[in-house]
Amino acid sequence: MLTKRQNLMEVIKGGTPDRFVNQYEFMELIMEAPMDLPLAPAPGTRVKNKWGITFDWPADQIGSFPMHDEEHKALKDITDWKNQVKAPSVFYTDEEWAAAEAHAKSVDRNDKFVTAFCAPGIFEMTHHLMSMEDALMALYEEPEAMKELIDYVVEYELAYAAEVIKHIHPDALFHHDDWGSQISSFISPQMFNEFIVPAYKQVYGFWKANGVELIIHHSDSYAANLVPFMIEMGIDIWQGVMTTNNVPELIKKYGEKITFMGDIDSGRVDFPGWTREKIYEDTKKACEECGKLYFIPCLSQGLNISSFPGVYEATSDVIDQLSKEMF
Amino acid sequence: MSKIEEVKAKVEAGKSKLVPGLVQEALDEGSAPAEVLQAMVESMGVVGDKFSAGEIFVPEMLIAAKAMSKGVEVLKPLMAGDGSTSLGTCVIGTVAGDLHDIGKNLVSMMIESAGFDMVDLGVDVPADTFVQAIKDNTNVKIVACSGLLTTTMPALKEAVATVKAAFPDIKVIVGGAPVTPEYAAEVGADGYAPDAGSAAVKARELATA
Ligand code: B12
Repeated sequence: MLTKRQNLMEVIKGGTPDRFVNQYEFMELIMEAPMDLPLAPAPGTRVKNKWGITFDWPADQIGSFPMHDEEHKALKDITDWKNQVKAPSVFYTDEEWAAAEAHAKSVDRNDKFVTAFCAPGIFEMTHHLMSMEDALMALYEEPEAMKELIDYVVEYELAYAAEVIKHIHPDALFHHDDWGSQISSFISPQMFNEFIVPAYKQVYGFWKANGVELIIHHSDSYAANLVPFMIEMGIDIWQGVMTTNNVPELIKKYGEKITFMGDIDSGRVDFPGWTREKIYEDTKKACEECGKLYFIPCLSQGLNISSFPGVYEATSDVIDQLSKEMF
Repeated sequence: MSKIEEVKAKVEAGKSKLVPGLVQEALDEGSAPAEVLQAMVESMGVVGDKFSAGEIFVPEMLIAAKAMSKGVEVLKPLMAGDGSTSLGTCVIGTVAGDLHDIGKNLVSMMIESAGFDMVDLGVDVPADTFVQAIKDNTNVKIVACSGLLTTTMPALKEAVATVKAAFPDIKVIVGGAPVTPEYAAEVGADGYAPDAGSAAVKARELATA
């Protein structure tokens, strides 16, 4: 039997895997690494992160949100971003790194990829700072200022990457940035090419030049129109690909250059009344239509968890069953 | 190109700095305010259709809506009290338990551009608040409920049921990523639309039926 890592490589290289790659199994995510996450930690909490963005999680809600009323919006005027936005330091003490380093050391790298985690993404950072509406309009109204802001976020990401690489020597990177709604990309391919592609070429290029073999990018959305750019940026696996993208067709068209991880929409199977039968039905359809190469069956959710207890585990169990049935 | 054609083109292109001046020029040329408004409504209709067809994206829609609202500012003082230009009031909100508002805001802009007066209740709106808003505002024709989470689908159902129970004649439309036409029918909504452009078409259709 191939190790998880070997099996993954067979899938993305078009070789002969001996089973489906089961969701996130090949990634050993080092979540202990010190980072500045874009969320409030628990229901009923509100935090201001190091970028000055306030995240609120009202007690009766299922998740947290960046706040953009006049009082809380971190960036109120894009033309004045140099005064209003200050990137936090990327330096943490050895003590703060200790748990992450110990975790990375404990991983058998023949079996799994030691995986660094990065969120939010560059595009997300712009709308967390200033709200989605302001960020999207600024792409038209103040393109130069937006490019400068994006460059500034890139500088921060590169500096943070250097620290992560120094401390845990990751083999893979799992990087979030949601680029669309379920039926369209947020911005046009041309605009994406102008603003976002150059930023990620730098960031992903840097990780790859420093020992990272695999770039997994999360966008749980439609983004089929952006796949050529994903390839250009150096993304090896697009995680979160929703069924609205027509994944089987994407695999036919681009599979040799990029692998698709998803095609099981969390929205359809991950809810309070979930059942194994429903998960089986969606997962089987995904596996049968997408096939064994360039495809990893996975919930669209951006981490190895589900919103409702048991759904992630049940999905893994179903994929094991399908491996037995189909290999 | 006549001034009014220019207004149309610039609204479509989202030129919010140019539109107010052009609107003024169109008025100076002798166009009636209602005529200029109608031209802008038509441009936003084109914008909505292009968005539905996937030809343009969210930023293009946002800047077009902004350009139109700049133009409307010029017209407003001239049209105050002229209720004949409005299709009625539309109350909109994201249902209880849900904080997503990007889609709701776009829908609101497009319905407003189609000629409605909007009352935006924001996010996390309890069913009763929709009913209260109908009582507090005049000429409410449409209630639009947005929901993005599968977990808040029951709240969507409750919102529709509560509004319909209190005001059977008011039309309720629903939408949001997990909402399907089947689900909309099942919960008793009068209309569904998959995107902001078609939401405006639907609202107009229901209000003028
Ligand atoms: C952007 C986003 C966010 C932003 C929202 C910012 C904001 N101000 O709204 C942030 C990061 C804050 C966020 C937070 C959360 N999110 Co969120 N988010 C998204 C994302 C990526 C896009 C949604 C969006 O804005 N789309 C763009 C707009 C233009 O499209 P739209 O909303 O679909 O609206 C269009 C149509 O649906 C329609 N429409 C919309 N409303 C209406 C109303 C009417 C009447 C009509 C006719 C039409 C209509 O017209 C609109 C315009 O064309 C989706 C993923 C996705 N693929 O959809 C997840 C998603 C909706 N989020 C999700 C989740 C789980 C969350 C969180 C709980 C995360 C967390 N664990 O913290 C929190 C939610 C907290 C809460 N209580 O609400 C899940 C929901 C899963 C589920 N089971 O339902 C999704 C599907 C992602 C996923 N696959 O896991 N999110």
